[in-house]
Amino acid sequence: MTTPIRAPHIVKAFSEELERLAADVAAMGGLAESLVSDALEAAATRDGDLAAEVMARDVQVDDMQRDIEKKIIRLLALRQPIAQDLRVCIAALKIVADLERVGDLAKSIARRVPTLNESDPTPFAASVDRMGKLVLGHLHQVLDAYATGQARQAVGVWERDDDVDEHYNALFRELIGAMTEDPAMIGPGAHLLFIAKNLERIGDHATNIAEVVHYLVTGREIASERPRGPRPEAP
Amino acid sequence: MQGFRGCHNPVVSGGMVKHRSDSSAPRMLDRPRRRDIALTAGLCILVLAVLALAGEVSPGVFFAGAAATAALAFVYYLTALSAAEPAKRIGETARVRDVDGEACETMLDRLPIPVLMIGAGGRIERANPAARAFLGLGAERGLLSTVLRQPRVLEAVSAALRGEKGAVVEYSTMAPLESHVRAFVEPIRLSTPGPMPFRAMLVLADDTSSKRAERMRADFLANASHELRTPLASLAGFIETLSGPARDDPEAQERFLEIMRVQTERMRRLIDDLLSLSRVEMNEHLPPAGEVDLNAVIRDVREALAPVLGPRDISLELRPEEEAAIVVGDRDQIYEVVENLVENAAKYSADGASICLCVHYGHTRDAAEHLPERIDPESGRLTLSAPALDSDARYGVVRVRDSGQGIERRFLPRLSERFFRVDGQKSGPTSGTGLGLAIVKHIVSRHRGGFTVESAPGKGSVFSVFFPVSRKARVSPPSSSAAQEASTQPVAH
Repeated sequence: MTTPIRAPHIVKAFSEELERLAADVAAMGGLAESLVSDALEAAATRDGDLAAEVMARDVQVDDMQRDIEKKIIRLLALRQPIAQDLRVCIAALKIVADLERVGDLAKSIARRVPTLNESDPTPFAASVDRMGKLVLGHLHQVLDAYATGQARQAVGVWERDDDVDEHYNALFRELIGAMTEDPAMIGPGAHLLFIAKNLERIGDHATNIAEVVHYLVTGREIASERPRGPRPEAP
Repeated sequence: MQGFRGCHNPVVSGGMVKHRSDSSAPRMLDRPRRRDIALTAGLCILVLAVLALAGEVSPGVFFAGAAATAALAFVYYLTALSAAEPAKRIGETARVRDVDGEACETMLDRLPIPVLMIGAGGRIERANPAARAFLGLGAERGLLSTVLRQPRVLEAVSAALRGEKGAVVEYSTMAPLESHVRAFVEPIRLSTPGPMPFRAMLVLADDTSSKRAERMRADFLANASHELRTPLASLAGFIETLSGPARDDPEAQERFLEIMRVQTERMRRLIDDLLSLSRVEMNEHLPPAGEVDLNAVIRDVREALAPVLGPRDISLELRPEEEAAIVVGDRDQIYEVVENLVENAAKYSADGASICLCVHYGHTRDAAEHLPERIDPESGRLTLSAPALDSDARYGVVRVRDSGQGIERRFLPRLSERFFRVDGQKSGPTSGTGLGLAIVKHIVSRHRGGFTVESAPGKGSVFSVFFPVSRKARVSPPSSSAAQEASTQPVAH
């Protein structure tokens, strides 16, 4: 690859491969996003069938990750990209790993829906749903930032992760309160806690992706420390 | 070789509907080819002549060569003529179809429904302006999956590209803005040669209004029936008492009737708020188009609330921005937002307290969200509703600051929930319906603005709402034409 003159069609094929890679990652992001949104809807509407469908669809995300990783390895081996091109490959590699985890977390939310359906509806569904919408919004905007290459938008999401923590914290306290008052709440309460924790983790993955997008566009890490909201575990 | 290239070009350009062919186009393409042949042949003969004059070749070879070249040129010339014929015919038919094509083009451009054509590999080949606006497409021909990440739409599109039957796919995004879209995917077989004759047509229909209306109706019934049951039950109880045990007790009657009056008043307020909420929610996805001066709004609110705040000796301090703070919005709705926030602040303030209403203009999203300094080191801050991130957007902000009892941190996320009241606010004649902040949130979200809260128990709260600055105002010292241009642009999406 040290030949000074590269035939134009090779460059074109390469840039097309990179473009397709980014499009694949975006499509995988869409899939992960739809898993989270469907899992939340299943939880909100107590829809067991939709939850089962989400669990089944998680395999697609895993397949896509494997597929994209293979493509990246091939790209690295055959084209030996440098600079921006290398960053595109590395960023894609990191983002698909995060998205795969997001898919798993969505699946884990969906897995709790049938159990939650066995008990009566709780008044906390609205809080979980609100937190879910917030996290989903973060994921959506960070994937938009990836597709459009807007580092500032990614940083915006990254800075707002403490909102998710604030929601998580509030929900945590509310649920603990409700569970101490009423032992019947312990069952559904524990599951809701896990759902909230999963959502908080999805938010973290969204901020990870934001960091990668910033790196991809600017070539630098985000300088400052990530703002952290309150942690219920450590009062 | 020459002839082949020449006959290929016009076919391609004639096949493209977009190609504007006036009558001279085929001949224009034809002419250089004929000239090329003549030139090449002439040069050949010239070279042979020079060689013959120099004595390098014998005159016999010269004549034979010249004759052969001339014959070759003649044959090429004939081929060129016959090859140009079909191109001419295609040019003519294309011209006839172009009138139609142009009309179709214009229709497609004016169509308010997003229509896209997707080519091989999922590349967007054409998109009408509605589609560009809807998907936020730039000018470049990108891949569909980068702008529309919906897995089921992408699946349907790739099926259509393989020539399979079209499909109707529904998808919805819940955040940051809710939308429901129906996507119609249909394969189109083009007559262009090549291994990939199929294109996919993608038509997107925004279904948000009807979906919302559907859900709103169900929600309204559920909310109304649930919340109205309590005052109704108490009314029923009092009526029973009045017609039974208290029939002959004028003092009890007086008291009960007063309670009943309060309860019916509460029911009326509840119904008003519920109606207002569902009206706002219904239109939440349609951004408003008017312009509002925030300074004027806070003045109006002070005037309107003076009779309510006066008796409680609550003073309302205004800190308007010096210049006009024009934002995009619906004047009545923004007024309702500020009025709700001030009423809310008054509710949580002691008599004789003061509430501060200030306006800031031209802030970035970060600056608009919260005060530069926390009101208390322990205060909780939360964004209750936020627009999509846009680093270019500027906002006009209204902050309502009170020094009342404040709100505990764990209640902050629930503030904009319907019927949520912080404990201890459940009853009493001044108690709210629990819908005020929900209405604020929905109005703000309709305006593509934001709504945040900062509060510390014992110290008070700050509620901030911010609305996008109108684009016209953003054009600094406007020349008249620039201002006109800006005003015709669609307002912040």
